[in-house]
Amino acid sequence: MFRKQIAISILSLPLIIGFYINSPAQDTQTLVKSCFNYMRGSASISTVDMIIHRPGWERSMTIKAWTKGEKKSFFVITAPPKDNGNGTLKKGREMWMFNPKINRVIKLPPSMMSQGWMGSDFSNNDLAKSDSLINEYVHRVVGTEMLDGKKVYLVESIPQPAAPVVWGMQKLKIREDFIMLSQEFYDEDFRLVKAMTTDNIQMIGGKLFPKIWKMQKADTDDEYTLLEYKALLFKEDLPDRLFTLSNLKNPRR
Amino acid sequence: MHIHLAWRNIWRNPRRTTVILTAVVIGIWSMVFLGALMRGMMTGMIDNGISTLTGDIQVHHKGYRNDPVIENSMTNPSMLKKILNDTLPNGSQWTARIRVNAVANNARHYSGVTMVGINPAQEAKISFIGPERIQGKYLDSMDHHGIVIGRELLEKFETRIGKKLVLMSQDTNQEIASRAFKIIGIFTAEMKATEKQFVFVTMSAAEKMLKLKNTISEISIIIPENHNNSKIASDIREVLPPKDYEVHTWQELLHILTAYLEMFDQFMYIWFVVVFIAMGFGIVNTTLMAVYERMREFGLLKALGMKPWWIVRSVIYESFLLLIMGMAIGNLLAFACIHALSKNGIDLSYLAEGADYFGISRIIFPDIFFQDVLVANLVVIVLGIIVSIYPAVRAARFTPVEALAHI
Repeated sequence: MFRKQIAISILSLPLIIGFYINSPAQDTQTLVKSCFNYMRGSASISTVDMIIHRPGWERSMTIKAWTKGEKKSFFVITAPPKDNGNGTLKKGREMWMFNPKINRVIKLPPSMMSQGWMGSDFSNNDLAKSDSLINEYVHRVVGTEMLDGKKVYLVESIPQPAAPVVWGMQKLKIREDFIMLSQEFYDEDFRLVKAMTTDNIQMIGGKLFPKIWKMQKADTDDEYTLLEYKALLFKEDLPDRLFTLSNLKNPRR
Repeated sequence: MHIHLAWRNIWRNPRRTTVILTAVVIGIWSMVFLGALMRGMMTGMIDNGISTLTGDIQVHHKGYRNDPVIENSMTNPSMLKKILNDTLPNGSQWTARIRVNAVANNARHYSGVTMVGINPAQEAKISFIGPERIQGKYLDSMDHHGIVIGRELLEKFETRIGKKLVLMSQDTNQEIASRAFKIIGIFTAEMKATEKQFVFVTMSAAEKMLKLKNTISEISIIIPENHNNSKIASDIREVLPPKDYEVHTWQELLHILTAYLEMFDQFMYIWFVVVFIAMGFGIVNTTLMAVYERMREFGLLKALGMKPWWIVRSVIYESFLLLIMGMAIGNLLAFACIHALSKNGIDLSYLAEGADYFGISRIIFPDIFFQDVLVANLVVIVLGIIVSIYPAVRAARFTPVEALAHI
């Protein structure tokens, strides 16, 4: 009896392992979604150092960020003092920016959505359409590899035919505990345009989380944006008043 | 008799006559030929302007021209259709468009463009765009994801037919609307700026993207050639409610071009006069020389009792004959040149970048305005005769005594 159970479980092991590889799209969809949910949490407060590196110069800033679910996020720059108070509010697919020097909130027009956020390699679209990967792509596991004793799923994400996304394909590497290791953006000829990699996975904010995120342009070595999490706190919920235009203008935090 | 005499007098010194004849010929030739070239350039500019989505007449919602946003659209196309069908003369063509500013994106590039939602079949009759001017496929009215873009934009975006282009704009709810299109055709236009600026989609695709219903941004009308567009424009203006609609002719729409044309008109006549002044000095000088050479002859005629007025007349006859001959040859030469160029035109594409800036076509075809030819010839003959009055009067003033003293 006992032996039979072992036999069944041994027999079914390849099935379970093979599950994601040959899985129907629905399950890969769940994998990507779980990864997103894990990385994002239901709500979070974080402090991030952002380094923008270019061939001739480099600059860094410190950002305080609040996120809630898929739709809402709010960033404020706290350092350097020159940029202190610059805020960005994102609700759904819309974004507003506040500049304390001119004391004015602007809603980002379509023409600015393709520009980099704060001059970084993350475009406003990357932020505003962060849920696009979940909703507008069809995912497929194309393989697995082992890394530090953990299994990593290699996912190819192809946009749905009519989806308004510019990429031809994205490739994700998701560790079995739902940590995203890399996200690569390809054009329609499947040439790499830019890639985001994460690194330095540690316990932070109560769960394993990559401390370093790097967005790198494909054609050059010395153009990248580096995010380093200084502090991260996952929460069950955050009050809605954080994600309002008035809070963008007069931060009460 | 006088004409006969004048004719013989001219050819007494063939070399001098040939020189002055050459001056007149070159003057006339340059006026007519270069004038036709300039007119050709202007016609090209106008044709460009009109076919680049302008048309002879346009109808907009009030305020659209100052602020081309989606809120300033016309919401009653069926009423407009009825009115236009009633007002426009037979043979007119018109089409409706949705036209908004948008941002085109692909994986590597983005750029501001003007998205034009068109009615493909109708648009082809009016604008520069149409099946025969397109590489690839032209839009089909049922095509909800096809887009036709200019060659220049295609090259800038490093893309090709079959690839995707994402357009973003603001929809009626003030929210960001984006839609993926597939590049199905490439158009080439006279100007590179046009190829960079416009992207064409079907009206229904634009409606879906911007969440519009039964709404159009502009109506563009082409009228038959023999009609006056400002009169028709005012006819339309009368029947449309003035507080909601604006009607403009191309002269009003392309006002920089209109101002430029007006300046050009004046400039042309000034230039005629300048050419003539150069030529006029030649005429006066040569005629004066001829007159002084024949001083003894005039003295003799005077001594024989010829009236001074007759002498004036005979000298003027001579220069009249010269001018007529020069004009005939000059015009012939100019028309021959124009004819030679009328097939292939002058290709300016090697300096297209610069010509683009002025809105000049890549190929200039000379265009004859009979008014210009008439003015050029009139200027030459009238002023030519006027300037030769001076040597004629000098000839008439010789007295027999003076003539004797002269060797």
